[in-house]
Amino acid sequence: MTEPILEIEDLNISFFVRAGEIPAVMDFSCKVMPGETMGLVGESGCGKSTVALGIMRDMGNRGQIVGGKIKFKGRDMGEMSQEELRDIRGSKIAMIYQEPMASLNPAMKIGKQLMEVPIIHEQVSTDEAYQRALEMLESVKLPDPARVMDSFPHQISGGQQQRIVIAMALLSKPDLLLLDEPTTALDVTVEAGIVQLVKELGEKTGTSMLFISHNLGLILETCDRITVMYSGEAVETGSVHEVFDRMRHPYTQGLFNSIPLPGADKNSRPLISIRGQLPLPMDRPIGCNFGPRCDHYVEEQCNAGPVFMNPIEGEDRHNSRCNRIDEIDWLAEPERRLVDDPARPGEVVLDIRDLKKYYDVAANQMFGGGETRTVKANEAITFQARESETVAIVGESGCGKSTLAKVLLGLETATEGEVLLGAVSIGNTEVNDRNRKTVSSVQMVFQNPFDTLNPSHSIGSQIMRTLEKFGIGDTEDDRRNRMLELLDLVKLPRAFAERMPRQLSGGQKQRIGVARAFAGQPQVVVADEPVSALDVSVQAAVTELLMDIQREAKTTMLFISHDLSVVRYIADRVVVMYLGHIVEQGTTDHIFSPPYHPYTEALLSAIPIADTSVEKQHIVLDGDIPSALNPPSGCPFQTRCPRKAEVAGDLCETEMPPARSLGDGHEVKCHLSQAVFDAMQPVIVLGKKDAGKSDKKSDSAPAALTSSTAPAKAKASSAKTSAKKPAVKKPAARKDASPPKMRKPSKPDDLKLISGVGPKIEGILNGLGVYQFQQVAKWKKAECDWVDDHLSFKGRIGREGWVKQAKALAKGGAAK
Amino acid sequence: MERLGGFEIFGQVMWNFAPVWIGLIVILWASIHFRSRLGLYGKLFDSPIGIAGLILVLFWVLTAIFADQIATFDALDQISGMKNKKPGWPVKDQEGLFYILGGDNLARDVFSRMVYGSREVLIIAPAATLFAFMVGITLGLPAGFYGGRMDTILSFVANLVLAFPVILLFFLLVTPEIRADGPEFELWGGQKWIASVPNLMALCLFLFPIIFFVVLWVSRYSTQPRKLAIYLAVTMVIGLWAYLGLVFNADPFGVFYMDPNLLNIFVSVVFVNSPTVYRIVRGVTIDIKTRDYVAAAQTRGERPWYIMLWEVLPNARGPLIVDFCLRIGYTTILLGTLGFFGLGVSPESPNWGQTINEGRKLLSLYPHLALPPALALMSLVLGLNLLADGLREESLKD
Repeated sequence: MTEPILEIEDLNISFFVRAGEIPAVMDFSCKVMPGETMGLVGESGCGKSTVALGIMRDMGNRGQIVGGKIKFKGRDMGEMSQEELRDIRGSKIAMIYQEPMASLNPAMKIGKQLMEVPIIHEQVSTDEAYQRALEMLESVKLPDPARVMDSFPHQISGGQQQRIVIAMALLSKPDLLLLDEPTTALDVTVEAGIVQLVKELGEKTGTSMLFISHNLGLILETCDRITVMYSGEAVETGSVHEVFDRMRHPYTQGLFNSIPLPGADKNSRPLISIRGQLPLPMDRPIGCNFGPRCDHYVEEQCNAGPVFMNPIEGEDRHNSRCNRIDEIDWLAEPERRLVDDPARPGEVVLDIRDLKKYYDVAANQMFGGGETRTVKANEAITFQARESETVAIVGESGCGKSTLAKVLLGLETATEGEVLLGAVSIGNTEVNDRNRKTVSSVQMVFQNPFDTLNPSHSIGSQIMRTLEKFGIGDTEDDRRNRMLELLDLVKLPRAFAERMPRQLSGGQKQRIGVARAFAGQPQVVVADEPVSALDVSVQAAVTELLMDIQREAKTTMLFISHDLSVVRYIADRVVVMYLGHIVEQGTTDHIFSPPYHPYTEALLSAIPIADTSVEKQHIVLDGDIPSALNPPSGCPFQTRCPRKAEVAGDLCETEMPPARSLGDGHEVKCHLSQAVFDAMQPVIVLGKKDAGKSDKKSDSAPAALTSSTAPAKAKASSAKTSAKKPAVKKPAARKDASPPKMRKPSKPDDLKLISGVGPKIEGILNGLGVYQFQQVAKWKKAECDWVDDHLSFKGRIGREGWVKQAKALAKGGAAK
Repeated sequence: MERLGGFEIFGQVMWNFAPVWIGLIVILWASIHFRSRLGLYGKLFDSPIGIAGLILVLFWVLTAIFADQIATFDALDQISGMKNKKPGWPVKDQEGLFYILGGDNLARDVFSRMVYGSREVLIIAPAATLFAFMVGITLGLPAGFYGGRMDTILSFVANLVLAFPVILLFFLLVTPEIRADGPEFELWGGQKWIASVPNLMALCLFLFPIIFFVVLWVSRYSTQPRKLAIYLAVTMVIGLWAYLGLVFNADPFGVFYMDPNLLNIFVSVVFVNSPTVYRIVRGVTIDIKTRDYVAAAQTRGERPWYIMLWEVLPNARGPLIVDFCLRIGYTTILLGTLGFFGLGVSPESPNWGQTINEGRKLLSLYPHLALPPALALMSLVLGLNLLADGLREESLKD
């Protein structure tokens, strides 16, 4: 058997601060074999970067390895001298960080930085070092390597910088490469290029890699094995396919339920967020760290003592830190809160016609004259948004989506064209010239939760100031009450009114941002990547909240995003922008199924999808997004378009394609012929069976999930799968079996006392007219089954013995 | 009567400072006890450097407050036969009284003069710094926020003031010709006011605090007219009253009054300090105005001055508080320097700089004349610097 490159045994890393010892990584073990890529996934603060720093033994003066061993090629790194460690770092183990600009020395030419590596580690001559650096730049596919060698880091783009960093790491021919979120700072299409490069290099050189990311889709695309971390511990580890298809830890399952995979739908198959939030390192619970947030939590079994990694039967090297692996029904469909009355788009609320926004950049500020250059941030933007509709604006950085938002909000005025809000033209009115009603009608949810609230004012006073500005409430008390109602609306405790922003988590801050935006009953809310800075498990909750409020208030939402998976989930219509132009717009179905604009096609192919049953075409764009200061002639996308060859002549380079209707409101700006459009294949194919639409997916999803599992498992679960018929139809069939209703009594029982009933289910039961233990106690089998189906519980009511519990509780209540 | 020995002198000094020790203990005990509720001030007690600075500064503040109890003689008392006497010398004919730190060349008590000197410094320095901050903030915020031509002009003027040698500027401002030169105006009640350069500067600079507070209230409470009226009325009454008293020396009730000498010094100190504050405020504003919460305020229709004063300024407080402490220290040194050059408040005032200058002439013969005020000046400035360091350290941890 070959020796592993990296073997970590029971690693414990703590940080020592004034408050005492803070364990950052606990009891962490993993093995990386030669040529293997290990993915490390988890939310912020789970300790994944600390593991990487621990391997490099670079934890500053506060961090310390307090237990366990890290073996590199069989040798314990703890026993190595500083000399040996220094020798290994950078030559045998190389690390690539998130911010490429921060890893390059801005005062040194790239060539010199690259040449340093072989010169220091292998003492080669300058000429040879130059040759090697040049070859390496070619292998990371940088155009014109000689020129790049002679430039400074700030003279090349972010994607190219990251390629340089990778080249630098590989120059020393390392045995192990640590990649810490290497693509997080990059645009999606650029990210796709880097991911492909990393994969190819891994295959070519046989380097082992440790790939740290919060993005499950990326892990699936790059890694062989995966370790999921939660709150300082590894909770599940195994091969990518084992973990993705047969996950055996509630946290892993929660993660997958909270990311919008293809097949999720905001009405029929909404996301499920993980409740609560990550515990702080100081107050982790006893026993299972995930216990307080887990749906399968059982008192005494989960909080008795430390939980260890348990092997999973029949699968080699697949372990899970869960005491109830064999007891939890892993295939059970989780309870979803279905939406009965999806919003119907109404009248046109926002009408944007031929909007243009140019900025003049004086070439020379000192002497006013000279040439002024124009940045065309928005060019001929035309689209409409209706009441209750969610329109997604998709594009990468520099595409002009934020400028568009600024014009809508009145922070900038349009250069040309018109923006109509109802009947009012707002395109040329600055926010200070708008009347109070218009101002409160167009509001925004900002991207960065840590920046959206003023750190100096309390939460309550910030919301009250907004109300004051919008003229809501006559007295201070009125406004205070309204503010508290808004806190209720975004599901935050009223006590938060007195808190300062720094006392809130990212998700909570973003909820306040939502409350503030919806304070004045806006007609249009612009949401600028409202969840992209949040952790995965919190994203779902905030997204759901945003959609709920929007649906109830019948607000039009412009959802700005670069993430097409979220867009597919949330949007009714999609506008795709590139370099200030709308290149394609249409309904979500139009955008996500062929024919596509070539840019949309590339974008779709670039999003990493965390679903093993998905097959994607790989379209990797060359180069970077051109600068808006110096846009290409003709079609803005022509410099990177993979389908340019399919258009005859130099049409793409000379002429801006006109907007072309493909029917039913689907518009594309492209010179491609109809024949090419008709021949386009879908980029993303779900499962092999249904290549179809997202709505159908909700019924067939369980099948798709099991389709790729091992035959033995599939057989074992086939009985259960058959019991999982579409939950929606059953209630109709057995309508008469619904439990007897009653009117809300003055003192309804606290149904939450029944174990298995949470506040959410209590709400649903109340909706069915069930308020008292007595009622539940009287349920017969038929009623139980009906409610079971209604809640799509798969027999949970029977298993948890609600009727029995209710009887006991009813008696207790009577005795009282 | 015997002269006091070294230990006895030390004991006497300690004993005389008793009110200060009691005050220190009470304040420190209360602060440590309630530190969790005191915000940044409470956090200061996590930093040893901050505590040291705070103790030094508090020591002098309390000394200034209890100067009458601590000092054994008046600052101007001259007792014959005590000229240039060594520390611990007994006072002739008065049983049990000593010149603890000796007598100066005019037979005054060095210790008492040092104690009263703290009062001079600790009133002028913080007040002048506060006024400099008002001016700097009121000009720095719009310059940073709007940028453009306004920024260019204001920054140019600030650089101009900064480039001018400070001492020369003071000499100019304090020269009698400049002070007395200018058209005379008759005020009510037979009062006269000369439109000289320092007076005109006072006229301008003292307007800034009033402008600052008026804009502060108007921007915040324009939606609540009643509250606004109350705040404005209070500001205007107190502001204009003080303005009349300080600038025109025409306070009808005689509460606000500033000696013409003092006014000169005060105005000059404010004038040279405000450009630096302006630059700090401008820089921080440029940084903070790009934050999302500023954009959020704009999207709900806030006016620029509200954003500057209520959204930007509170978040600039970290660097400003630190600079405030440092600047009081600089101002203290500046006042000392001015006193040293004979530009002090009045020739016989006990301010430290002046006392050092007088002592300097006899330094080789009687070092005890110049040393106490020099040490006092040093410890106060050191305390302020340490306090600023502690505050900076703790505010970064937030």
